[in-house]
Amino acid sequence: MHEPPQRPDPDTLLAIAQREGRGRLKVFLGAAPGVGKTYEMLSEARRIRESGADVVAGLVETHGRQDTAAQLGTLEVLPRRQIAYRGQMLDEFDLDAALERRPQVLIVDELAHTNAPGSRHPKRWQDVEELRDAGIEVWTAMNVQHLESLSEDVARITGIRVQETVPDHVLAGADSVELIDIPPTELLERMRQGKVYRPEQAARALKGFFREGNLAALRQIALRRTAERVDADVTGYMRAKAISGPWPSTDRVLALVGRDATAEDVVRQARRIADALHAPMMALHVEMMGAPGGLSPSPALRLAEQLGAEVETTAARDLPMAVLNHARSHNATHLVIGRGQPGFWRRLLGRTLTAALIRQASGFTLHLVPAPSTVTPRIRQEAMGLPHWAGWVAVPSLVALTSGLSLLADGLVPEGGIGMIYLAAVVALAALFGPVVAAAGALLAFLVWDFLFLMPRFTFAMSGIQEVMGGAIFFAVALLLAGTTGGLGRSVSMARARLFGMRRLVELSRKLGAATSKGDLLTTVAQEAATLAGRPACVLLPLDDEPVVRAARPVEAEPDAASMAAARWALSRGTRAGFATDALPSAEWQFRPMRTANGVVGLLGLQMAGVQTGELDAERDRALDALIDQAAIALERAHLMEEQARSAARAETEALRSALLASIGHDLRTPLTSIRGALETLRMSGQQLSEPVRQDLLTTAEEETIRLARYLGNVIDIVRLESGQVEPRREPVDIGDAVRTAAERAGRRTDRNIDCDIEKRLPTPRIDAALLEQVLANLLDNAAKFSEPGTKILVQARRLGAEVLIAVEDHGIGVPPDQLTQIFDPFFRVRRGDAAPAGSGLGLAICRGLVHAMGGRITAESPVREGHGTRMTVHLPA
Amino acid sequence: MSAGRTRLLVVDDEPQIHRFLGPALDAAGYDTIRAETGEEALRLAATRQPSLVLLDLGLPDIDGQVVIQRLRQFIKAPIVVVSARGQEEEKVAALDAGADDYVEKPFALAELLARIRVALRRATNERAEEAVELHVGPLSINVDQRIARIEGDEPLHLTPREWALLVTLARARGRVMTQQQLLTAVWGPAHADEAQYLRVYVGHLRQKLGRAAGLLKTEPGVGYRFSE
Repeated sequence: MHEPPQRPDPDTLLAIAQREGRGRLKVFLGAAPGVGKTYEMLSEARRIRESGADVVAGLVETHGRQDTAAQLGTLEVLPRRQIAYRGQMLDEFDLDAALERRPQVLIVDELAHTNAPGSRHPKRWQDVEELRDAGIEVWTAMNVQHLESLSEDVARITGIRVQETVPDHVLAGADSVELIDIPPTELLERMRQGKVYRPEQAARALKGFFREGNLAALRQIALRRTAERVDADVTGYMRAKAISGPWPSTDRVLALVGRDATAEDVVRQARRIADALHAPMMALHVEMMGAPGGLSPSPALRLAEQLGAEVETTAARDLPMAVLNHARSHNATHLVIGRGQPGFWRRLLGRTLTAALIRQASGFTLHLVPAPSTVTPRIRQEAMGLPHWAGWVAVPSLVALTSGLSLLADGLVPEGGIGMIYLAAVVALAALFGPVVAAAGALLAFLVWDFLFLMPRFTFAMSGIQEVMGGAIFFAVALLLAGTTGGLGRSVSMARARLFGMRRLVELSRKLGAATSKGDLLTTVAQEAATLAGRPACVLLPLDDEPVVRAARPVEAEPDAASMAAARWALSRGTRAGFATDALPSAEWQFRPMRTANGVVGLLGLQMAGVQTGELDAERDRALDALIDQAAIALERAHLMEEQARSAARAETEALRSALLASIGHDLRTPLTSIRGALETLRMSGQQLSEPVRQDLLTTAEEETIRLARYLGNVIDIVRLESGQVEPRREPVDIGDAVRTAAERAGRRTDRNIDCDIEKRLPTPRIDAALLEQVLANLLDNAAKFSEPGTKILVQARRLGAEVLIAVEDHGIGVPPDQLTQIFDPFFRVRRGDAAPAGSGLGLAICRGLVHAMGGRITAESPVREGHGTRMTVHLPA
Repeated sequence: MSAGRTRLLVVDDEPQIHRFLGPALDAAGYDTIRAETGEEALRLAATRQPSLVLLDLGLPDIDGQVVIQRLRQFIKAPIVVVSARGQEEEKVAALDAGADDYVEKPFALAELLARIRVALRRATNERAEEAVELHVGPLSINVDQRIARIEGDEPLHLTPREWALLVTLARARGRVMTQQQLLTAVWGPAHADEAQYLRVYVGHLRQKLGRAAGLLKTEPGVGYRFSE
């Protein structure tokens, strides 16, 4: 197969192009102060000046070293700028003077220096960047411990944390790096000779930072860094020239992120290894089922993401298995893992992940990141609600109490039994306060027991081998109990704490579910968040892409203008913004997006500064995130329901409107045509027509006019009802009287027989008599319309429970069952195959509207008997 | 019901319409047969052989368009459709399905009678379709000599298409013709959908007709009618 021609890597070419036009940067890198960086830099500067280069010393720190000052010689030195700060004058590098002077090469010592407040840039390396942008070549010096990514390692080695750091990219962007290296012994010798520091300083330094071990380690780091850089230079060159090499190192680095304090160090270490190997980096967190919690892994995972790792989280029961599976399936070659703090038993049984991986992960290179010694789990005390010092008070008290009991029991129990009582006290201490306190308790208990009960009594001496053995066994057992019981107590407490957290979540989802409106829901979320976080909280929803506060607790809480800018950021990017985030961190409020699959539905705002609040611990933070997730889902559901209701209402209005239009088209036109036709016939050919025909035409016109008027009345009624404009005038109504009157009037309009069956002593509901009359008239006319002449119509009125029922029953053709539910809809007309629909389809709709307005309901049944008849029942509240 | 009178079939589901149409048509000299459903209309059209069918399109049982199609399978009598205003598609569909004309509810009686007269005249004088001399208002057309002139004027100068369009419209005098019918007759079936041709030619024809341009009336959304 033919290989495609190798092309230069575009990224590398771009980086080179960006360098062109910029001033070069040369860094003199040292492992420690005093190795001679400045000296070397100055002597080299003098050399190139002699060959004609324009070299200026922008800023040189000689630290009072005479050799160094001598190297400055006749080199042009820029005057320093004076900055007044808190009553004293500070000398600073004068950036503007340097830019104006524009030398070919400028020397700016101490790259890691922090500028005095009020300077243009907070850090000197930023000054250097500006100089380079202006096309000036800069030479500078720095020690390896100031490199940001190494500060952690250096602190661990030397015990001194460096405050002044330089980002790694500055060194990576340097055009050349010169390592100034002298062996540690030589450096120490120079220190002793007073060439580095003044004598009194030197003595202090030799005891602290400048121990030989420290220097050796730092030197190693500096050498390694430089070597990595050389490596990068070579690969960069090869890539730029499209030389195909062996690099796509098949290496892949996997950082194992746990719930312990080493997680972030693991990620940083993995990044460095991956950089060194030019390998892609991955990070994995395995959520252990049924295992106790710990710190949240999310900060470390976020860090991993920021450092360009491919991050994954899975859940498993068997941690080593899950890790190995993932590592194999993702072709990882290097595993980076924190030592963590395995429990007593786990360590004893070798069941730590580290141990398991050492046994099983034969195909991988393992990197162990040491645990920081300062971290101690405090979850126990928080969970139990006991203060930290309580344990130390409890130790002497409990031992004293036990001793009292033992003295009372002395003689009643066998000698060994006394020891058991003390053991019980140790167990109690372990359960309550953890292994450390319990161990102290064990020691004290042992001593007191020895003093009070072991022969010879009331001395710490032991009489024979038996006593010594007994004492040793007691102490060993007590310690063992301290370890195990303490762990047990802790996991019980943690389980309880997590159970509490879960219960709170369940409670919350119940509350969110119970919120009946969106407003309710938002208020609930704000309330819960404020309670949980112990600080003001608010919920913001987007309105035309602008965040708007929709609920706040306390109600007067409101983000200021600067915070609202953060809110806009959070909404548009879908990320956290504001206080202690990457975006607008100076804002008092922090905003967290509520996300669903459809994007950001809202924001939760928390006031982090400017109010008296406590710390937001990891446990609460996690609970807040859970709250946000739940709120997001509930909010989306509320949105959907609102949308659904709106579109349903719209569809209903649309349907009514088109039905109204169609009905007006038909129901107005037909009577109008009849009236016009009848009148025109009379006018045009009246003489030719017989008297009865003329009379009939006039009757037609008259009847159709009435029909038209009735129809218009109905349309107006239905429009008023649909728009909620019917206001019933409520007064006690005699139902029997109302029914009889309506039946009588309807009887005059029809030849059907109307029978009334009215229960005695009916209640008199408070309804509108006129509306009821209209309802009954419509129902009776309807019954007459759909039944044969001469048949019976039955009207019944009776009480049933809390309702008064009025039923109108005909013996007509009935309503097809599938249309029973629709007959009360406006403009609905029953379709019966061959028969013509009659009426406008408004009568029953009006009945329903009127009955509803009076607080009742209306139902229909059909067939009523023998496949015939319809019964309409009006239910009114009694 | 005297012999020799023209028999009309009136199809409408509203009894009130029959109540006044019966006497009105009787007074105008027609016998009427009354039908309230589509099935009834089809049966009576077959058994009583009316000279004209007056058909309301909104029937309870069969769609009015279907009634027209089925009537056209066995009768040649003109069909005048009664339809609602604002339902132009329905009218066009009815005309294309074989109806001869339409009136809108609520119609004026005089207009209805005029439509009935036009439709009947066309049916009774089927031969008039082939007549050599056509007269519409001031316009006279001699088909053989290919001369069209307005009373007292010089003959009109018409392109072949304009001539064909004018003759087609004049032969259907008084009756509405849908765009599709005109396009099919003048341009051929392949151009039945190209309404813009028609608009352009009707515009030219109106210009050339000059003071007689009012004879060519537009029926918005339906087609054109050539009448006094």
